[in-house]
Amino acid sequence: MNGLIKYMCILAGLALAVSQYFIWEYAPREVTMGEVQRIFYFHLPFAWWAFVCFFLLFVSSIGVLAGKAVFWDHLAGACAEVGVLFTTLNLISGAAWAKGAWNTWWTWDPRLSTALIMWFVYCAYLVLRSGAAGSLKMRRISAVVGIVAFLDVPLVFFSARLWRSIHPAVFASRGGGLAPEMWHAVAVSVFAWGVMALVLLYLRTNQMRAMERIRQLNQG
Amino acid sequence: MNYLLLANVAIWLGISGYVLFLAAKQARLEKRIKHLEFLNDKQG
Repeated sequence: MNGLIKYMCILAGLALAVSQYFIWEYAPREVTMGEVQRIFYFHLPFAWWAFVCFFLLFVSSIGVLAGKAVFWDHLAGACAEVGVLFTTLNLISGAAWAKGAWNTWWTWDPRLSTALIMWFVYCAYLVLRSGAAGSLKMRRISAVVGIVAFLDVPLVFFSARLWRSIHPAVFASRGGGLAPEMWHAVAVSVFAWGVMALVLLYLRTNQMRAMERIRQLNQG
Repeated sequence: MNYLLLANVAIWLGISGYVLFLAAKQARLEKRIKHLEFLNDKQG
């Protein structure tokens, strides 16, 4: 492990530890929902960083189609994995929050439905990639799917504004209806999970490069 | 409170599961690369 990633790992660990203090101690108890509202401080960063991962996947897929650099394909694979992991955690934490706040694990609300569709689409992308290892043609097919799949991401983001939804749109109203202390906890949590996402992306991209090296050694 | 605990457990299990997967995969890849490099050096 080289120097930069070692410091990134330490920073991720520290930032996550600090975020725990902000979530459990610093942020005030929400009046209507009570303690269960603290799920928000995980739920939101997972959604945002999953969006960032899928955007990077979209950019990487364009990179794959534009040139022949294998790096873009590796980055796309890492982004898809971390994005799907974060979306899974977002859906699970959202279901637990829904049960606490709405007394149901799931409802076919536009935001929830589009997020579930997005999860299925990127899971399908990962399945496609698992059979695409090494081949240039399959890399390009994966890249096309990676570009098309991104169409659902803005739909998920704007669904709570476009259609009648019980899911709150955090930035739809000024201040999002949150106390300043809550915003501080959100900011720290978003930063901590962002560093963690970068670490995971870096490690997974490096592993894909190592897998490529194994393929080359096997052929040579 | 129960649902908060449930979500928290699920999140940390998910993250630690993925980190463990990465660690195991890294160990396997390094071992495989060393082995293949050794074989290639022997042949070349």
